[in-house]
Amino acid sequence: MFFKRTPLALLNLIHDRRKFLTSMAGVGFAVVLMFLFTGFMNALFDSQLQLLERLNGEIVMVDRLKTNMFVPRAFARRRLYQARSFEGVEAAFPIYISDANWKNPETRRTRPVRVLAFNLADPVLLLPEVTTHLSQLQLPDTALIDLRAREEVGPKQAGVVSELAKRQLRIVGTFSLGTDFASGNGNLIMSDQNFLRFFANRGPNEDERSFATADVGLIKVKPGTDVNRLVQTLQTRLPSDVLILPKDGPNGFVERERTYWQENTTIGFVFTLLTAMGFVVGIILVYQILYTDVADHWSEYATLKAMGYNNLFLLSVVLQEAVILSVLGFIPGFLVSALIYNAAAGTTGLLFKMTAGRIIGLYVATFFMCLISGAIAVRKVQATDPAEVFGL
Amino acid sequence: MKPASSTAPVDAFLEESAATASAVSIRGLDYFFGQGELRKQVLYDINLTLPKGQIVIMTGPSGSGKTTLLTLIGALRSIHEGSLQVLGQELRGLGNSKLVEVRRNIGFIFQAHNLFESLTASQNVEMAVELVGNFKNKRQQAAAMLGQLGLGERVSYKPASLSGGQKQRVAIARALVNEPQLILADEPTAALDKKSGRDVVTIMQHLAKNEGRTILMVTHDNRILDVADRIINLVDGRLESDETLSHFQETHDPKKLDGQMFIL
Ligand SMILES: Nc1ncnc2c1ncn2[C@@H]1O[C@H](COP(=O)(O)OP(=O)(O)OP(=O)(O)O)[C@@H](O)[C@H]1O
Ligand SMILES: [Mg+2]
Repeated sequence: MFFKRTPLALLNLIHDRRKFLTSMAGVGFAVVLMFLFTGFMNALFDSQLQLLERLNGEIVMVDRLKTNMFVPRAFARRRLYQARSFEGVEAAFPIYISDANWKNPETRRTRPVRVLAFNLADPVLLLPEVTTHLSQLQLPDTALIDLRAREEVGPKQAGVVSELAKRQLRIVGTFSLGTDFASGNGNLIMSDQNFLRFFANRGPNEDERSFATADVGLIKVKPGTDVNRLVQTLQTRLPSDVLILPKDGPNGFVERERTYWQENTTIGFVFTLLTAMGFVVGIILVYQILYTDVADHWSEYATLKAMGYNNLFLLSVVLQEAVILSVLGFIPGFLVSALIYNAAAGTTGLLFKMTAGRIIGLYVATFFMCLISGAIAVRKVQATDPAEVFGL
Repeated sequence: MKPASSTAPVDAFLEESAATASAVSIRGLDYFFGQGELRKQVLYDINLTLPKGQIVIMTGPSGSGKTTLLTLIGALRSIHEGSLQVLGQELRGLGNSKLVEVRRNIGFIFQAHNLFESLTASQNVEMAVELVGNFKNKRQQAAAMLGQLGLGERVSYKPASLSGGQKQRVAIARALVNEPQLILADEPTAALDKKSGRDVVTIMQHLAKNEGRTILMVTHDNRILDVADRIINLVDGRLESDETLSHFQETHDPKKLDGQMFIL
């Protein structure tokens, strides 16, 4: 029966093409605002995890006091050797991480970057570029540079020669990772041997690095192993100066990192507030649209009432308009947002992910945004006095 | 039939049977606008019966309460004093949803057509058909009604591409498509040229004569008085006169009337 009715709501909305386009743009604008703010918030959080998600292992070992990747605390590497003797452990790789100043070869200004190093024989990172550049990385004073590093580091290509921690370094290739809070302006990857060359003896004010300590330990398990069980065993049997966590899952290392940044920064609060503002702007815009429609059709709606339509029917017309607006405004808003995400990812090196869950979540927000506006505008229709159509 | 509670049961019975035989029956109706100090009476002790099948024209000076009386009969406002029966239903004390039901049996025609610009002529009429739950044949019914009003070629036009007279005829089609027993019209020809106005009135006259509909029409338009069976005159909220057409014409010499209008 519903579908046989004259689609008054839809026809009223699209009757005036120009007004209709403006309405769609209005809702779309609110949608873009919400996508933008949640997008930046998610990007800031997601980006913290880019490196961790590329780690080729199921279990992560860090110093107990390394509460997040920003804390430069190393642990005794022999813990990894100890771990290797456990049932189910296939391999255990040390990863060395250090910050250092990189001189932009064009501007001659130095910028902090993060150096990731490991034994080139270990499949530590799921980055194909590492394997293709193996032989060059084995040469002294060489490294790969992140293509998604920020522009401040200068040209990102093989052949660039500049200074890292006041020592000459040659770039022999590139890879693609992205930045996060701990990575400074970008990442470099080098062999553990080169890492020692750069950081074993950097001067009196800097830590001396050696193979005795590692920053992150990565454990690869044998197929068919119960990861959580193994984590438990390792944690109880190894000394408690190291923390052992599964990489993935709700209690995993990746999730711990995300939670740390969510709980210890105001990012979440600020961007949630901005998103809420987008939501409110949307409510006001949609209310304006619906209110104008009611005001423009005042006598027609009153006539419907005089004919014998009840308030419920008029309410349903306004709410239908709200729902139609939420759908028709969301689509262009979403498309524009996708373009903006792309552009923003390119310039910031942050990770802008448009997941199905986030799209659905924002549609639901848009739906409620329109519904709330509809509910406010509806009060205006209810007040329509059918007697007013006479003698106007 | 409800049991008579009055001390004069015979009177009550007579009144009630008179009411069911007529389309509209009004007894001792007073009406006020506003509350408290702003309370203002606009209708005084109205007594009026409209038998079925009659065309009644209501005239009277501006502000005399014609529109107000029409909205009361049309169940668009609630009455508080007196008695008002429409199509056998007492409106006094009726709840809102009951009033809405009463409206469905009445055809309203206003001075303004009040058509949705976004709907075609047919769709505007169909909105009325849907009201009685007839979804299957709504198109045919709307088209047939528009055809009767000479708009067979225009069913798919939007109001913007119709003339004033055509729009008013669509509005009439919408008011009549459910075959209401009572039709209330407030200056239906005011916005129309002479010929369109005449056409509209002729259509209404046919309906009353051939199908026994009752029509109450407010108009200032002297050119259409001849369709009336009866003319009532409302002055300052009181029914001043109630006469047949021939009597009205005798007492209101057209030349004299024209002369009056000239002075105004
Ligand atoms: N909603 C209202 N609230 C208060 N007073 C009203 C309202 N509607 C009408 N009135 C008053 O009631 C009186 C009767 O008005 P009504 O509209 O019934 O006159 P009318 O006979 O239809 O006049 P016209 O020929 O100009 O249409 C007028 O004095 C008017 O000012
Ligand atoms: Mg009036």
